[in-house]
Amino acid sequence: MSTQDPYVRFEICEQTRIGTLWLDGAGGVNKIDHAFGQALLDRVGELAEIEGLAGVVVASAHRDWCVGADLDYLYRERDHERLLGVVLALTRAYRALETLGVPVVAALTGSALGGGFELALACHHRVALDSGRVKLGLPEVSLGVIPGAGGTQRLPRLIGFQAALELISQGRVLPAPVAQAKGLVDALEPTAEAVMEAAKAWIVAHPGHKAAWDRRGFTWPAPAPDSQDARNLFMAGSAMLYKKTAGAYPAAEAAFTAAQEGARLDFDRALELEARLFVKLAASDGAKDMIRTFFFHKNAADKLEGLPHSEQPDFVKVAVLGAGMMGAGLAWICARAGYQVVLKDIAQPALDRGMAHIGKQAAKLARKQGPEQADAVLARIRPALELEALRGADLVIEAVFEDIGLKHRVIREVEPLMAPDGVFASNTSALPITDLAAGSGRPAQFVGLHFFSPVEVMPLLEVIEGRDTSSATVGRCLAFGQRIRKTPIVVGDGFGFYTTRVFTAYVLEGAQLVAEGHDPAIIEWAARVAGMAVPPLQVFDEITLVLGKHVVAGSKPYLGDRLALPGADLVARMVDELGRTGRAGGAGFYDYTDGRRVGLWPGLADLADGPPTETGVQYLAYRLLAVQAAEAARVLDEGILKRARDAELGAVLGLGFAPPSGGPLAWMDRQGLVALVGRLDYLAGSCGDRYAPAPILVDMAARGERFFPVG
Amino acid sequence: MPDAYIYDAVRTPRGRGRKDGSLYTVRPVELLAAPLAAIPQRTGLDPALIEDVVVGCVTQTGEQGACVARFGLLAAGYPEHVPGVTHNRFCGSGLEAINHGAAMVAAGFQRWVVAGGVESMSRVPMGADGGAWWDTATQWSVGAVPQGISADLIATLHGFSRGDVDGFAVESQQRAARAQATGAFQRGLVTVRDPSGLPLLEQDEYLRPDTTVETLGKLKPAFELMGTRFGLDALVRRRYPQVERIQHVHTAGNSSGIVDGAAAVLLGSLEAGQAAGLHPRARIRSIGVVGSEPLIMLTGPVEASRKALAAAGMTPADIDLYEVNEAFAVVPLYLMQQLGVPHDKINVLGGAIALGHPLGATGAMLLGTVLDHLEDRGLATGLVTLCIGGGMGIATIIERV
Repeated sequence: MSTQDPYVRFEICEQTRIGTLWLDGAGGVNKIDHAFGQALLDRVGELAEIEGLAGVVVASAHRDWCVGADLDYLYRERDHERLLGVVLALTRAYRALETLGVPVVAALTGSALGGGFELALACHHRVALDSGRVKLGLPEVSLGVIPGAGGTQRLPRLIGFQAALELISQGRVLPAPVAQAKGLVDALEPTAEAVMEAAKAWIVAHPGHKAAWDRRGFTWPAPAPDSQDARNLFMAGSAMLYKKTAGAYPAAEAAFTAAQEGARLDFDRALELEARLFVKLAASDGAKDMIRTFFFHKNAADKLEGLPHSEQPDFVKVAVLGAGMMGAGLAWICARAGYQVVLKDIAQPALDRGMAHIGKQAAKLARKQGPEQADAVLARIRPALELEALRGADLVIEAVFEDIGLKHRVIREVEPLMAPDGVFASNTSALPITDLAAGSGRPAQFVGLHFFSPVEVMPLLEVIEGRDTSSATVGRCLAFGQRIRKTPIVVGDGFGFYTTRVFTAYVLEGAQLVAEGHDPAIIEWAARVAGMAVPPLQVFDEITLVLGKHVVAGSKPYLGDRLALPGADLVARMVDELGRTGRAGGAGFYDYTDGRRVGLWPGLADLADGPPTETGVQYLAYRLLAVQAAEAARVLDEGILKRARDAELGAVLGLGFAPPSGGPLAWMDRQGLVALVGRLDYLAGSCGDRYAPAPILVDMAARGERFFPVG
Repeated sequence: MPDAYIYDAVRTPRGRGRKDGSLYTVRPVELLAAPLAAIPQRTGLDPALIEDVVVGCVTQTGEQGACVARFGLLAAGYPEHVPGVTHNRFCGSGLEAINHGAAMVAAGFQRWVVAGGVESMSRVPMGADGGAWWDTATQWSVGAVPQGISADLIATLHGFSRGDVDGFAVESQQRAARAQATGAFQRGLVTVRDPSGLPLLEQDEYLRPDTTVETLGKLKPAFELMGTRFGLDALVRRRYPQVERIQHVHTAGNSSGIVDGAAAVLLGSLEAGQAAGLHPRARIRSIGVVGSEPLIMLTGPVEASRKALAAAGMTPADIDLYEVNEAFAVVPLYLMQQLGVPHDKINVLGGAIALGHPLGATGAMLLGTVLDHLEDRGLATGLVTLCIGGGMGIATIIERV
């Protein structure tokens, strides 16, 4: 016997009386939407009618088990009441499955995420395929919402408040083996067939099973709700969260609230409470902007949608010039992706340091995946001092000192050794690619590949097209970027391209605000409140004030005196007169003890004008975002940015531009461009031209346009 | 409006609020009954005339829950027609009870009211009553930190060093020891006894008279770990973004002690006293109660005192003696700084750092202490004030008659 349905169907084994509920969404994907919830509820209703039903296995007909909510729908939905209806219907369907009266097992042969994993949590037992490819968890918070179908209720009851909230508030997704160690799944099996068999065996062994929280005498994993320990845990947990987020992530906060309050309620009403908290978030701008950037835009970029494509074969041999942190890190990730890598430097000590850095990465990998894996990667990296080692390289990435003369020399030395169709890439963070390509004999095969530090972690790759860079070269580099798992943006040429322009605006504004006499502690805090991942003076110390000074000086031929603000003078004074060069130098905007940041340097007050006429957290937070958004708009206006998508991904993934905002364009949209232009005009008048709205903003405001349409 | 008068004030000694404390074996109801019973015994007032018993108590749960006032007054042998009510204004509860009773008398609704407070911290620990205060939903909307972090924040913002708070604490210990040695507390104390009448505690037992700035200096700041390692300090930046780092100066040695105790005060109108042949000792001049910023939480005594002074048409200099609850050393220091009160007018018999702070009882205890000492010194006016959880302050001004 079986029932057909576009979403969920079931079959009954006549011998065992075990039903299998097949998740069988259209297009090979199981996505959760209203129709899915209805189908599930219908099938559960039909199962309940079956005589002698022994239990239910929930299985997927596709590679993934269930990847969560239909974000196309969620992104568009702004109506609270309608959304609540949809969520509560889904919750009821899950609850009906959970309370069917027979054992229910999730056979996790593929990834279960978000609402998909919540369905697995509504099952009584979870068996997963023992594979890192199977990803499990509740990533909702990273999209500005909370789990809305029981995740904040069932997971704490399953593994305790602390473990559950750590996962939920960070939106963490775990490979199945880790998920099992943390108690998210009960058992692992080596093959999909074994998963199904184990699920059925569990049903046979557990007749009449109920969810733990539906059994009499259910006890919570310690600490019990409202115990002193639980109160301490929530106190410390909320403090840790606030320290990290400065209140900029309402979804993470709501996850705590849902878990704590829901624990006091009857289970069904707790699910309702969660749904209500979910709806408020899901209908908000915050969720829409995060979903657009972190899901739609990122997926599109990762699939290279709308980007140049090359028919040429992939690179085989990749050479990295310069064995600093960046060069060594690049060598490592390229080798991990399977490329043959040469790491070249001109000095043995530098090369040794680079290889030591790689050694550390290898040790980390060995701990995770075994020494064979690590050794195989290491075997693909060849350290070299001699030029000859570069012979035949398909891709050369130079990460040498930012000096145009030096770079030209390197290009002339290396190009003749490369494969004839090879690509030479500069990892410069600011110098125009066209200017660098002037040193190249084949500028069509010359490109900018701007990586971010630490390159092992930072997800962005900014590809810069010089004047003569061919589309095929860009296409090859994008395929390469895909293989080393970076999310690409493709931008035109100009000093600082896109990301460095915005980043420079941000850190220099930090120094500028100090020079204007704003309290440095409030500047830093305001950046956090605005959602910035790292406050400006802290990040200035990391990159060093020397680099800041260097960039300001280097920008002169390209930007004129645009960056010559009192803030830049302050940085120069700190470097030249006070020897405060940044973290590496042991003193910068902050004081350091043994390399540890101990606090803002009290002497900053003496370098400042002041007091400013306007200040405070809200004012400073606005300025720190506005100065970046205004710069992003200018880069867009100049045609260097070609896609709104790139503006968002570049800022958020590359610079840590307020992730909850969705990006600089979304941040501007949210205010309405008319209001924004008025505010930027005001700031341009009171603080300087860097705030002036680019013509594109003025035009769009006049036409009543937005960067991203609503819904 | 007629005045409310104080006819008597009595308290138990304060016992250490732990299982080795002398009052640990006493149920909260019995602990409260001791001072309640002493009132008619000492004054000769017929308890049948008492129209209400108003009791402050903070941790109203377990054996201290469910209106401890009612069962305390019955245990004290008051007639059953006497009602009782239990208030919770956190640490201001004891003084709130006085103010409530005084208001009923002044309004003419009641003629005799016994007001007081009780807290058995050894048997019903602080926080045992739960509360929305520590819900994360409260954290996100209002903000909340433990009081010690608030105290350290005041010290950070208003320039009180570890030396300042430790110096204040040593002085509190020395003053309290001197007061105990010279019998300054004697008049107001009632001995707590076991079922067969044997004395359990006759004097305050929390004092450490040998405390010095050196011994205090060795103590670890009590809220540093919580504030830095567990990140709680960051929670104040919602309101105090300029505070990059909180200086943690408060320790177990310069903060109030955890103790058990109870107190009662007899309030009545002038006419009722005349009818009963009793002479009032003082009158209530004014009260002040305020809400203040909830994260810094403990600055309320300043505004509450200002409000009470204004209502009485007085200035800080018009007050002869102050009792400012030493929840943390910085609380009276901050009041001294803000109101310009000299140290020799404030907590002259020591305070909660030396004697302990039985939460719901303290306000009523301090009222009796200041009244007794005004009489001993032949002075006229006294002001009692306490800081209160959640950001509040309460004050009462009395004047001898």
